[in-house]
Amino acid sequence: MLDIFQSNFDKLVKEKNFSPEELKIKKLNFDNFLKNGFPNKKLEDWKFLDLNQILNSEFENFDFDQAKFDTQIEFFKIIKDFDHNQIFLLDGELFKNNFEFDDLDKIKISNREYFNEKINKNSLVNLNHAFIKKSIKIEVLKGYRANKPIVIYNYISDQAKSSVINSNINIELGENSALELINLSNSPKCSNFLNSYCGINIKDNATLKAFNINEGKTNTIEYNYNEIDLSKNSHLEYFIYSTGSTFAKHEINCSLNQPYGSAVINGVLNLEKDNQHEIKTVINHNDENCRSYQLIKNALNDNSKGVYQGKIFVDQKAQKTDGYQLSRALLLSEETEFNAKPELEIYADDVKCSHGSTSGNIDENAIFYLMSRGLSYNQSRQLLINGFLQEVIEKISTPEIKKLIKKITGIRDEN
Amino acid sequence: MLSIQNLKAKIDNKEILKGLNLKINAGEVHAIMGPNGSGKSTLSNILSGKKGYEIEGVVDFNNENLLNLETEERAHKGIFLAFQYPLEIPGVNTNTFLKTSLNAIKKARGEKELDALEFLKLIKEKSKELKFDEKILSRQLNVGFSGGEKKKNEILQMSILNPKLSILDETDSGLDIDALRIVSEGVNSLRTKDNSFLIITHYQRLLDYIKPDFVHVLKNGQIIKSGGPELAMDLEKKGYEDFE
Repeated sequence: MLDIFQSNFDKLVKEKNFSPEELKIKKLNFDNFLKNGFPNKKLEDWKFLDLNQILNSEFENFDFDQAKFDTQIEFFKIIKDFDHNQIFLLDGELFKNNFEFDDLDKIKISNREYFNEKINKNSLVNLNHAFIKKSIKIEVLKGYRANKPIVIYNYISDQAKSSVINSNINIELGENSALELINLSNSPKCSNFLNSYCGINIKDNATLKAFNINEGKTNTIEYNYNEIDLSKNSHLEYFIYSTGSTFAKHEINCSLNQPYGSAVINGVLNLEKDNQHEIKTVINHNDENCRSYQLIKNALNDNSKGVYQGKIFVDQKAQKTDGYQLSRALLLSEETEFNAKPELEIYADDVKCSHGSTSGNIDENAIFYLMSRGLSYNQSRQLLINGFLQEVIEKISTPEIKKLIKKITGIRDEN
Repeated sequence: MLSIQNLKAKIDNKEILKGLNLKINAGEVHAIMGPNGSGKSTLSNILSGKKGYEIEGVVDFNNENLLNLETEERAHKGIFLAFQYPLEIPGVNTNTFLKTSLNAIKKARGEKELDALEFLKLIKEKSKELKFDEKILSRQLNVGFSGGEKKKNEILQMSILNPKLSILDETDSGLDIDALRIVSEGVNSLRTKDNSFLIITHYQRLLDYIKPDFVHVLKNGQIIKSGGPELAMDLEKKGYEDFE
């Protein structure tokens, strides 16, 4: 199994002219990946989801040339009636961008070599760093507040079937800047392993709102890793809507490094069939007076499985921390499974931290109430599921984006 | 309109209704009174189609066997239950719910559904009649409503859906005097020669406001006595003990 990775790595190194420094980092990452392999259930962080699916897939080629493929912008299913700037990724790499509402002198998009001398311990991140050819950087300059959101459209082409696709995005918000970013993946049916890495750095007084929407029904196996750092008085709002793909794990490692930072992470897992999705978060309160809030809701149908692992770490010096997390699951069949692992690790003595987790069935009395008003069983059930999930959607603080996400997900209060 | 013959109902092998007979004609208001555990709520649940009961007997509603119909079909045919404890439905907007409900019923009856504007007009009119604060309509269904608001919301729903047979399950419980008056006025304004009511209550008090044509005493799963409004006064004086 790992042979194919070795031969593809050798091929990549031979064909691309990486600089000696970059090559060194790639080799270190690749060695780490080989040493640890794919994560399995024996690892604490992976004990709830079955990764055998990944291991059983037969991956062939990892190297795709955009030029070989006749890609048209229509493939990307552009959102209508919503003012936004566009970035198109084809098979994980930058394809094009189209900025109508903001100045590219203020928001700089570049495609460049990736340097990070710190070698991550996560083998999937190692895999990503070993194989990426270019990293996409989105940089919002100091003091600039973007007029309209950026939508990143992800499209996987036919040539990337049964492949490992690595994508690497780094976002940097300068002091006093603001950006809204919507990451949309809606790929056609294909069975590949999409391994995304996103590094986010939010400087003093800056605000990032990031929305991660995955709604295509695909056989894709997805792993999204986010490394987020917040500076003084900066703010992050992160939203996940995860449905459709066979397997998805969203991992967020968020550090509040200076006072008065805040992070809000809200997520919805809306699953059916054999889907297995997970949200795993670690919030590091590294300095005082920071706030974190998390609300995760799961609607689980058929044989699906939802997992939430959420950890709040509070450093000794992070006094006056306010941390909150709640996960709730609606189990809609006998066969579904929900696992929650809330964790608090606190070393400061003046903090407010709470966590909670609930799971339960749909309330048959509520169904009876709605049916007695003329609604069918399915209509009533859907209304209750939407109502349950809607609380998370309502947390979205930008009205236009809230409206868009209601439209995309179908979770709204009108029929 | 409604004819119940020898209705028996069991839940978890416990017999609750033991051969109940009742006939309600169009335009009549019937009150059922009875002590706790006599089967009052079971009767209203069964009429509106709640699952989980083992049922025997016949319930004829406008020449159709009601027991063969699904809960929502009964609503389409004109049965309405005002709940004793209206449920809180988070994430569902009251206004939207009312519109969905009304249009589901209209659709099933082959009538023209109301558009947003027509519905708005209707709801404004009805809320005014019932002195119902319109602001509440933009809130989630029953979530955080006071006891009185929940009950008024039931009556508002009733008035919008305009059912043929309205069953009021202890609608008076938990209401203060003013709310009781408003709710009763709401019910009275819906009384026509075509609409019937079945009012379930513990107390005679409600019947001061809504004058029934008939009063029945339900005890141990059977109607043991029927009479006119004077029966309620009698009950209030003597209590249920004397009725054996």
